[in-house]
Amino acid sequence: MIKRLIHTTKRVLGLTSPGRYFDVFEDDTFIVSFPKSGNTWTRFLIANLLHPEEPATFSNIDRLIPESEGLTRSQLKRVPRPRIMKSHEYFDPRFRKVIYIVRDARDVALSQFHFYRKRRRIADDYPLEKFVTRFVAGDTSDYGSWGDNVASWLVTRQSSAGFLLLRYEDMVAHTVTELTRIAEFLGVNVTPERLAQAVERSSADQMRKLEGANATASVTKNTRQDIPFVRAAASGVWKDNLPERSVAELESAWAPLMKWLGYELALVKAVASDARVESAAPGVSAR
Amino acid sequence: MVGYLVAAVKHAFGLHRPGKRVTVLPDDILLASYPKSGNTWTRFLLANLVFPDREVGFGNVHELILDPTVTAQRDFRRAPRPRIVKTHGSFDPRYRRVICGVRDPRDVALSQYHYLRKLRKIDDEFPLDRFIDRFLAGELKRDLGSWGENVGSWLAARHHHPGFLLLRYEDLLANTARQLARVANFGRFPADPERIAQAVERSSADKMRESEKKQGERSMLIKGSRQDIPFVRAAKSGGWRRDLPESQVARIESAWGDIMACLGYELVTRNLHSALESSLLGLLAGGSAVEAGAHREEVLAQTSDGSDSLVERTAIR
Repeated sequence: MIKRLIHTTKRVLGLTSPGRYFDVFEDDTFIVSFPKSGNTWTRFLIANLLHPEEPATFSNIDRLIPESEGLTRSQLKRVPRPRIMKSHEYFDPRFRKVIYIVRDARDVALSQFHFYRKRRRIADDYPLEKFVTRFVAGDTSDYGSWGDNVASWLVTRQSSAGFLLLRYEDMVAHTVTELTRIAEFLGVNVTPERLAQAVERSSADQMRKLEGANATASVTKNTRQDIPFVRAAASGVWKDNLPERSVAELESAWAPLMKWLGYELALVKAVASDARVESAAPGVSAR
Repeated sequence: MVGYLVAAVKHAFGLHRPGKRVTVLPDDILLASYPKSGNTWTRFLLANLVFPDREVGFGNVHELILDPTVTAQRDFRRAPRPRIVKTHGSFDPRYRRVICGVRDPRDVALSQYHYLRKLRKIDDEFPLDRFIDRFLAGELKRDLGSWGENVGSWLAARHHHPGFLLLRYEDLLANTARQLARVANFGRFPADPERIAQAVERSSADKMRESEKKQGERSMLIKGSRQDIPFVRAAKSGGWRRDLPESQVARIESAWGDIMACLGYELVTRNLHSALESSLLGLLAGGSAVEAGAHREEVLAQTSDGSDSLVERTAIR
């Protein structure tokens, strides 16, 4: 009882984190993705683009591009507007301006597996196949399954002006082009030099260096130091590392969605009419 | 400061409303639908089915079918399991079992227009086309999204899920007992015909109107609103054919034609197949939805009035 009272008092005074139940403003922009889909990298890219005077690090990123779950209510109130914030939420109608990053579910599953080892949520000998089964069921995060999260945003917002869809794979292959699209979406004028500088300051090598220097920053705090946060920073890693059974499980769960996003299926044929699939995904650049 | 203290004490005793922070239990059943889509009627039906010993009315329905924005936290903790929870919210993955109520958005728009007049949020002269602007943009309830966003988010994430039951208001009107039996089977509630019939009888539009007169002022839905406009209005479907100008029908169909087609609602200002072409939802919902929609259009083409008695045959399962 006393504990509840203390908690409530803290809450009404704004000293607790609001989690997903925070106040959203009309002019907020959100960088949204399912976890392990390149969100932190995108935060670095945008922070470095908008704040050339203060290079992004693992310790200042929560201030430059904050997330509601990392701040208390009163801290959140003090973030200058218009805010650019990070989120992993499934569809939230209050978010009016959204940069949504999607990544191949097969790579996401693998990345989350290693991240959970780093977080000590699973042991090194935890079977990968079992993890993938739970991943498909949406049992490994609070943000819905990968398919729930991606589909809930795409179906509702895909054709809206306040929505920018980015594929992690395109960002890896054409970082400058994709960051230019982000700058246009944010309505900021940037020179090629500033773009190049932001990309350079957010490179995988640079981020690895920063991770080494800031091992106790929020994303990596209290985690195993023998497994890095910035891992391969590549796409298609699943091809060599994911058991065939797991690939089949992921593909059969989300075949139409993956095909629509341009992710080629290795084992499962897309179920719906292929003609429609080929012409789909207008916001996604062809490869 | 006094306000804070009152809030803290209320919270400590469980008298506050949990709102979105409600703790979800694995066996909770969520009744989700956009406002003015038959949610209250469905709650009466379910409450009368599951709690036959209680007299269900506007004054107590929130104690039986829990509403996080109305019901006190204490009552959430005391409620028998499985709890039935009501929401108007968009997709929420925390719930494993969801009854999703939908209604033709052309009727939802009209119903919302009258409800906002009742609540004195718009006056009687408010132009319908300006209202439709706001309806399409989802500006009426920002935290719920537009009809298309709200319904689309549920269909996108849950359409094929075994823990998802789609319940069309039009089907519920056409054959209430049959649809309530579907709901009962889904929730594993008693579904013998007598009990179903009794629940349907006790939740009729007339009975609900009676309860509205007697207990309306005790309900958050009605309290303080205009008495000359009833909450329980026509309780019919297809009113848009008479009351919604074609230009406004066209705007709704242009914005949400693919979702409407997936749900089997006939389109009158555009072709069903073009609405589904390159629609991601059509792709995710798979061939079944497209076929159901196309089949319904064929059936409707053979009948002159497009009456709702046909709806049942073509509902998406």
